[in-house]
Parts: sequence; C-alpha cells; structure tokens
Amino acid sequence: MATPTALTQQTKTEVTAGGFNGGLGLTLVSGILMLAALYMALAWAPDALNLEAPAERYAQRIFYFHVPSAWIGFLAFIVAAVAALLYLVTRNPRWDIWGLASVEVGLAFFTMVMLSGPIWAKPTWNVWWTWDPRLTISTISWLLYIGYLMLRGAVDNPERQARFAAVYALIAAISVPINWMAIRWWRTIHPAVVAPGKNSEAMGGFGMSDNIMLTLVFCLVAFTVFYITLMYHRIRLENLKRRVEAVKQEILYQ
Amino acid sequence: MGDTIYLAAGYAVFWIVSFVYIYTLVNRQRHLQKEVEMLEQLAQREGNGE
Repeated sequence: MATPTALTQQTKTEVTAGGFNGGLGLTLVSGILMLAALYMALAWAPDALNLEAPAERYAQRIFYFHVPSAWIGFLAFIVAAVAALLYLVTRNPRWDIWGLASVEVGLAFFTMVMLSGPIWAKPTWNVWWTWDPRLTISTISWLLYIGYLMLRGAVDNPERQARFAAVYALIAAISVPINWMAIRWWRTIHPAVVAPGKNSEAMGGFGMSDNIMLTLVFCLVAFTVFYITLMYHRIRLENLKRRVEAVKQEILYQ
Repeated sequence: MGDTIYLAAGYAVFWIVSFVYIYTLVNRQRHLQKEVEMLEQLAQREGNGE
C-alpha cells in the first residue's frame, strides 16, 4: 500500500501537470474557435434584411451567441441526466462527477442566455422582460439547476449526495424538452428562428440566409468545443479534489 | 454608439460570464495545490516522527 507521502507526491504531480496544462491543445483549439466565431458573428455575417431599426438590426447579432449558449445549456442538462441515470444503475462515482461538471458548466452557459436575452429584447420588444411561456420556463429551468448545486451543498454524506443529486437531475431534465417546445406549443412572442413553428405572435424573427445559417452552425460548433474543454477541466479538477480528500482522510486517520 | 450599445452589452455578458467561470476553476485549482503542499508537509513531519 502506498504511504501518505507517496500519495501526496502523486497527487501533487497530477495537480501541477493536470488542469490547465494537460488540456492545453483542447484549450487552444477552443480559444481559436471562439475568436473565429466572434469574428463571424460581428463582421462576417450579413445583416438581417427585414429588421429596419438600426438598434434592432445590431442586437440581432446577439443571436449568434445566444442560441449556441442555449444549445449548450440544454445539452449539458441532458448529459447530466444521462450521467445521473448511469450513476443510479452502476453506482460508479465517475458518473456523479460527470453530472456535477455538466450541470455547473451548463449553468454558466444558461446564465449567459438569461442575461443576453433581455439585452436583445429591449430594442426588439421594447421591454427587458415579459412573463412569456418561453421566458418563464427558462427561469424555472435556471432555478432548478441552481437548486441542484444547493442540494449537493446541503448533503454531507458523499454517497447520499450523489444519489439525491442523480434523482434530482433526472427530474430537472424534464424542463429541457418543455423549454425547447415552449415556442412551438404555445402562443409566445419569442421567435423560433431554428426549426420555426407557426407562431404568429413572435416578434423579432428573421429569415435564415445561407451566410446567417453558416455563421450559426460555426458558432454552435465553437460553443460545443468550448463546452467539451470546460467539461474536461472541471472533471479533472473534481477528480483531483476527491483524490486530495482521500489522501487527507488517510493522513488524519492512519 | 447608441445603436450598438445592446450589441456590445450582449457580447460583454458572454465574455464576462466565461472569464468569471474560468477564474473560479483556476482559483479552485490553486486552492487544491496549496492543500496538497500542506498535506505533503504534514506527511513528512509524521514520517520524521514529530
């Protein structure tokens, strides 16, 4: 059996070599893609022709980062639900770590959605916020995932914490398909530019020309790589944190 | 500037949230590093029979 000194040495090596050095290639690719996405969204993509007011036309470009952030929010919460299911079936702590990392990263992206939405809405709808079905469900979804992190913080026993969080993540994931369909099922002023329905109440929608679509697809790819990069670092960090905890226990109770 | 203020604010949100989140990751990494160093010292002291 390894001695505490050997364990701490091994953990130290991982802390120093891991995290922000280990995934350097992935981080670099992700950074370059995000800068390219920024260039395409702000300079390369054409203006939406049907939007006449300059402020509304400029604000439309928020769409190139708003939609991918929402996509990553949804993806991250679905990944967390799959990880939760895998954890409940296998009881392997690895899936608990995946679930935690995905919710945390997803919440960061969903926060971007919740903040950028009103900034776009002001010049388009002339209000920062309205209790529209899509906006209301997004708020519920956002609060549900904040609740996930609070729940984890409230339970001390690691096994119980992982089990409760897994069940909670599965239930919270129901908000994702409801959120996606909200602008297609109900009368809402939120436009559905991607896979539009027949919502005549929508305000601020625009036609998707080839270059607008290409920019959106590029941004979706860049954000997905960014999500993978953050997941990589967050999972690595959590693994190390748990290793340090284990070493600490070993030293204290030997 | 008046017409582009919303655009600037919208993009600022993405970068600020991203950098704040990355900063929290870096901070937690640093904290972990300090903890490992502390544990190492503790383990060495116990190894020396102090």
